Amino acid sequence: MRPVTPRGFRDVLFQEAAERGSLAASVRGVFSAWGYREVSTPVVEEAAALEAGMGSLEGTAFRLLDLDGRLLALRPEMTVPIARLVASRLAEDSGPHRLAYVAEVFREHASLRGQAREFTQAGVELVGASGPAADAEVVAVLVEALAASGLPEFLVGVGTVAVLGALLEVSGAPDAWRAGVMAACHDRNLVELDRLVACAELPPAVGDAIAGVPRVRGGREAIAEARELAGACGCAASLDDLEETWALLEVSGAAERVTLDFGILRSFDYYTGLIVEAYAPGLGLPLGGGGRYDGVLAAFDRPAPAAGFALGLERVHIALAEQGHAPRTRGIDAVVAGESAAAFVAASELRAGGWRVWLSPARDGREVVAEARRLDAEEALLAEPDGTVARLDRDGGPSLPLSRPFPAPPTLSWASKGGAG
Amino acid sequence: MAAADAPRLLRMALPKGALYDESVALLGRAGFDAAGLADPGRQLTLRTADFEYIIARPTDIPVYVAYGGVDVAIAGRDVLVEAGLDVAELLDLRFGGCRFVVAEPEDAAPAVSERLRHLGVLRVGTKYPHITEEYFAELGQQVEIVKLHGNVELAPLIGLVDRIVDITATGRTLTENRLRITGEVLTSTARLVANPVSAKTEPERIRGLAQRLAAVRPAEREECWR
Repeated sequence: MRPVTPRGFRDVLFQEAAERGSLAASVRGVFSAWGYREVSTPVVEEAAALEAGMGSLEGTAFRLLDLDGRLLALRPEMTVPIARLVASRLAEDSGPHRLAYVAEVFREHASLRGQAREFTQAGVELVGASGPAADAEVVAVLVEALAASGLPEFLVGVGTVAVLGALLEVSGAPDAWRAGVMAACHDRNLVELDRLVACAELPPAVGDAIAGVPRVRGGREAIAEARELAGACGCAASLDDLEETWALLEVSGAAERVTLDFGILRSFDYYTGLIVEAYAPGLGLPLGGGGRYDGVLAAFDRPAPAAGFALGLERVHIALAEQGHAPRTRGIDAVVAGESAAAFVAASELRAGGWRVWLSPARDGREVVAEARRLDAEEALLAEPDGTVARLDRDGGPSLPLSRPFPAPPTLSWASKGGAG
Repeated sequence: MAAADAPRLLRMALPKGALYDESVALLGRAGFDAAGLADPGRQLTLRTADFEYIIARPTDIPVYVAYGGVDVAIAGRDVLVEAGLDVAELLDLRFGGCRFVVAEPEDAAPAVSERLRHLGVLRVGTKYPHITEEYFAELGQQVEIVKLHGNVELAPLIGLVDRIVDITATGRTLTENRLRITGEVLTSTARLVANPVSAKTEPERIRGLAQRLAAVRPAEREECWR
C-alpha cells in the first residue's frame, strides 16, 4: 500500500520540529518563571466529562468507542481536562493551583477547509483564584509568553462578558432574543446585532448600550466609554473588575501590548468574566486566547474560580516565520568520517566540546563532503588514526586540521545571537 | 515585514458578477479611487492609493476573508450564510437585494404531494446545499438534496428534482421556466465583511471604511421583488 497520513494530520520534520521545540522552550520558561508547573493529561477523556465541562462537544471532538463500549473523545482543548485533573487528582488541595501545559489537541473539521485536526497548545490555568489580580496575571503571562517567543509584532485584546451579560439582564427581553444577541456578538455580526436591537422594544439607553458596548475598544478611555453606555442602564458596576485589571496591567507594563475590546467573545461558551485573545498582524486567525471560566469546575462538583489561556504554537510559529523571526536552531555541526575507532574517538571529543556530530561510514573524501552538504552540516571532518582531525575542502581533499583543544562548534554562535538552543 | 515605513495597504475583495458594478459605484461615492475598477479587463488584482483590490468569484470571498487572504470584502449575505465561515459582518450595504425561494413547476403541486405521501421524501435541487438543508430541517421536512452548479431552474423541468431552492432578484427566470414560488428561505443584501483578526489589528482603518460606506449606501434597504 501507499502510506498516507489522515487528512488534517501531518508529520513534522527536522527544521520545523527543532524550531517548534525552541519556541515551546521559550514559552515554558515564562510559565515556570511565574510559578506555573507543567502537567500532562491523557490524550483521551471520557466524552461525558468533556461534555459536562464544555457544555457541548458539537462537532469539535474525535470520538471513539473502546472495547467496554465507553464513549471516549480525543481532547479538543486543554481547559476542561485540566479542570478535570484539579477536580479529581488535586481535590484535597484547595489551591490556588498554577498549572501549565504544552499538549496536542484534536478537533474535527469538515474536509477541504485546509484546517489541521491536530495542533499544539501551550497555556496556563490559574485555578482557585479570582478577582482583578488573578485576571491581570493571566493576561500578563500571555503577553510575556508572546514576547519571549520572539514575535516582534503582536496584540492582545482584553474584554469581559460581564458587561453584556449585565445589560441583557436589565433588558428584560425574552431569552430567545438574548441568545440571538449573544450569537450575533459571537459571530461578530454587527448587522444582525443592530437588527435585533432595532426590532426589540427596549428602553433607548439599554438598546444603545447593547449595540454600542460591543463596538468599544481602545486603552483606558475605552473603559470610560463603556462605563458611560452601561452606566445609563445602571450596569456601571460590571466594569469595576476590568478597570482594576487594567490598572494592574499598566503597572506591570503589559498594558503596552494590550487593547481593551468589548467586542471579543470567544467560541467556547464557558467564559464568565475576563476574555482575552491574541493576534499577529497579517495572520488571519488568532494566535490564541482564553479567559475566566468560573463555572467549569462546578460541573465536576468542585466549584472554584479559574482563568487561563492557550496559545496555538503552530500559529505563533507561522507568525514568527512571516515576521522573519523564526527561531534560530542548531543543526549538525560536523560530519565525521574515518577509520571507525579513530572516528569514534574524535566524535566523542567533539561532542564533549558541545559539537553536534554525525558519524559517517564514507571513506571517500568527496562522499563525506556530499553527505555534509545533504545534512547542511557546517564541517566535513576526517579523523586520522594518529588523532588529528582534518577539515575536508570542497573537493574532499584534506585541508587544515582542527586545532586542539577543539574550537567551539560553529552553530553555537547562532543560538547565542538571540535564538534558543 | 517588521516596521515597514508606509503602512501596508488593506486588501479588499470584490465579487465578480451581479454585485460588482454597484460595489464599485459605492466605493466611488465614498471617495475612493474606483476609476480602474470600472473596467478591470482580465486583471484579478489592482492597487490603488486606498486598497489592494482582489476581484474574486463571489463564493470564494468568504474563504478569502475567513482565512485572512484579504482584510475586508463586499459579499452577498447569501454566500456568507452558505459558507458558514468565521467572518465579521460590519455593515449592511443595502444593495443587491435578492431572495432565496423554494419553487416548483406550476403544475407540479398534485404530483409533489402524491410523491410525499408515497415516499415521504422530496428531492430538492440547489446551488446552496447548506442553506437548503438547514431550511428544510427547521420545517421538519425530510429532503434529498441534489447539488447543482448552474441553471438550477432546469432540474425540475427534466424531472431530476421536485423542487428547487434558488436565489432570485426579479423572479423572471422562475416565471419564464413556469416555476411557482412555494416558500421563502431568506433575504439577502450585500454586506461589508472583515477578517476577524484584521478587524482587531487594523481597527481604525476598517472602522473608517465602514463609516464612509455607511454614509453613502442607499438610504433604504433595496426591496426585492415579491
